[in-house]
Amino acid sequence: MDETTRTVLQRVVRKVPATRLREVLRTWGRVPARQLDLLDFSTSKFVLFEDVRSLCEVNSNRLTLKHVCELEMIYFIGNPAQGVWRACHLTEPDDDVMTVELRQFKEQFKARLTELISNVSVKIKKHDDEAVWIRIAWGDHFHRPNQLKPTYVVHHLQTPYVFVYNLSTKHKPLLYQALVLATRHGSMKDSHLSGKSLTSIRDFLMRSYQQAFPTKYARPLQEKNTAPTNPNIEKEHAEQEEKRLQLACEAFGEGNVPRLETATYKLETRYRGSGNETLNNREEPFRALIKFSSANLLVSLNHCVSAGMAETPVTPLLSSITQKGKNYFVITDKGSGNSSQSMVQKK
Amino acid sequence: MESPVTRLPTRRRTKSYGRSCFEASSRFAYTSGQLTILRIPTTREAPRARNIAERVDPEQVTLLIKNEWKLSYVTPLYRFRHTHLKKYSKHLSAFIAAEKQQGTAVEVGLETGYRVTFSTVLGIAETDEDAETVFIQIQSKPMFAATGDALKVVWSGWLTCVNGSPEYLHSLLPDFVSLPLFCSSGPENITVVVKSWFEKMFDCRFGSLGLDSTSLQWLCALWTGCHPDNNIRYLRLLWTLPTQPPLDVSYTVNPQDAWELWNSVRQEDSVDGTVGIDEVKHFMAGLESHFFRHFKIYLSSGTLRKVSTALGSAQQDGKVKILCSDYLATVLTLLTECAILKMPI
Repeated sequence: MDETTRTVLQRVVRKVPATRLREVLRTWGRVPARQLDLLDFSTSKFVLFEDVRSLCEVNSNRLTLKHVCELEMIYFIGNPAQGVWRACHLTEPDDDVMTVELRQFKEQFKARLTELISNVSVKIKKHDDEAVWIRIAWGDHFHRPNQLKPTYVVHHLQTPYVFVYNLSTKHKPLLYQALVLATRHGSMKDSHLSGKSLTSIRDFLMRSYQQAFPTKYARPLQEKNTAPTNPNIEKEHAEQEEKRLQLACEAFGEGNVPRLETATYKLETRYRGSGNETLNNREEPFRALIKFSSANLLVSLNHCVSAGMAETPVTPLLSSITQKGKNYFVITDKGSGNSSQSMVQKK
Repeated sequence: MESPVTRLPTRRRTKSYGRSCFEASSRFAYTSGQLTILRIPTTREAPRARNIAERVDPEQVTLLIKNEWKLSYVTPLYRFRHTHLKKYSKHLSAFIAAEKQQGTAVEVGLETGYRVTFSTVLGIAETDEDAETVFIQIQSKPMFAATGDALKVVWSGWLTCVNGSPEYLHSLLPDFVSLPLFCSSGPENITVVVKSWFEKMFDCRFGSLGLDSTSLQWLCALWTGCHPDNNIRYLRLLWTLPTQPPLDVSYTVNPQDAWELWNSVRQEDSVDGTVGIDEVKHFMAGLESHFFRHFKIYLSSGTLRKVSTALGSAQQDGKVKILCSDYLATVLTLLTECAILKMPI
């Protein structure tokens, strides 16, 4: 076992919680299950690593980097919520875009990427749910690929969606170009959507969550047994509450919505405060950056509107999160320079 | 707009220390009762950049601006003498050692003992009434240290009073020294031991000091006002709205734009070096209404939790970081005042 293989194996053993390590090793299949059962997973990670290493060496006489990377991928595919995932969008599909199949994609992608950069190691694995997982370790002319900081890419074949984890700006154009060519598209761009949970941002983009749609008729009020103290006031309050809830659900979904953590707005609009002549007459924008964050942003915003902490109707700026499937926006005034008060979102 | 400050009840200073937890030999008599009213100021001096290094030892200044400090208030210290600092150093080290033996203090690594140093930071005090600032540093002696090894600083803290209310300071009985603001940085268990030593030695009481939204707004405005002299780089405000789960809203404003907004709310007649609470409230309302026009969310339904610029940051739970020593006096004046107001008098 060479030095890099050893280090990557050590990393994986350290990273995976002891309770899950047995399962991950079993799925990997390089060590017989019988021997795994004899391992003591309650010892320190240092001892555990030595045990796993010696087991690997006994069983497969040439354990290579490839095998260890596969182990890392197995764990990562099972637990993708470890950092920030960014969504990207493939655009301008070719006519034969639907004919792309896995083997062809694999070959094409690897070939294209190695044409662009000499020292790179790519590993592709197909997951049960039709997603293709790609692990890329980057190097350059003078350095071997850095196996400790790999980039992960998840792509569902025949869809325009790509999810990227841990990609530096330096490698971005290379990856984009290789993906565009391998999937037969014209270009690829950032969707301005990011989050910690891969499944959430995927469901969010594909809109697979419960949505509410505007209706002409309010939903029937629940029948109440208790006699209201003042029926008219109660009715009015209930109606307003119902309306706020309906609007909140239309804007942010209801029930079990995908988990997003942040939404960022870069405001480059003119000052809009009240009663400040000096700034209202100023031509230049009032530059500010607003960041909303929560453990579950859509639920928080929904609550914010339905509880009356925000005015209804919901501003297009906030409802754009679900409507456009983005959580990063740049906001400017329509036609900069004129006195129009409406805002536009830059593409 | 009526400022909420004027509606706050004034605080009365009567003899009500009420420390029954101390034995009958408590040296506390009663305060003279001269002070009856302590008001929250509605105007403040505009911050002026001053090179503090001219008055204070620069090495000591770096100690003060390096850390994030947790704030507490302290009631006046009985028979505290700036001339006895050496004695206090020895006392406190012995006290910590004793506490550690009893098992109250949790061990930090493999130390055999602590070395405590009390020192005076001359030049922080602004008026003759202000007592000089006292800085305390606790270093640990590792068990297997070679003679040349540097000691590791494990805890530091300081007591200060800057521009303390003269009415309040005059009303103190002789033998009392008021250093109302206590800042600490280090493990909580050591802070607890240091506080209990002070309480036993000087018959005083500590209490946690949070910063209400008015204090945070003051700091926000005062720091923004410094921009022409000292680039604030950004003005960042953090609100938390009480939704389920809580929604954090961080609002970062371009420094130049923030300053122009501040400049536009400054009133003509108050440019002579003072800042009024009305101006501060207008400034905040200006920021909030720009936000509202975009997002239709009422920031006032939440709480202002943190204010930060490149000059420093302050949090609602009483954590403060001073990153630029030029405005040390301004910030400490405000914090001293918060400490005096928070005290049970």
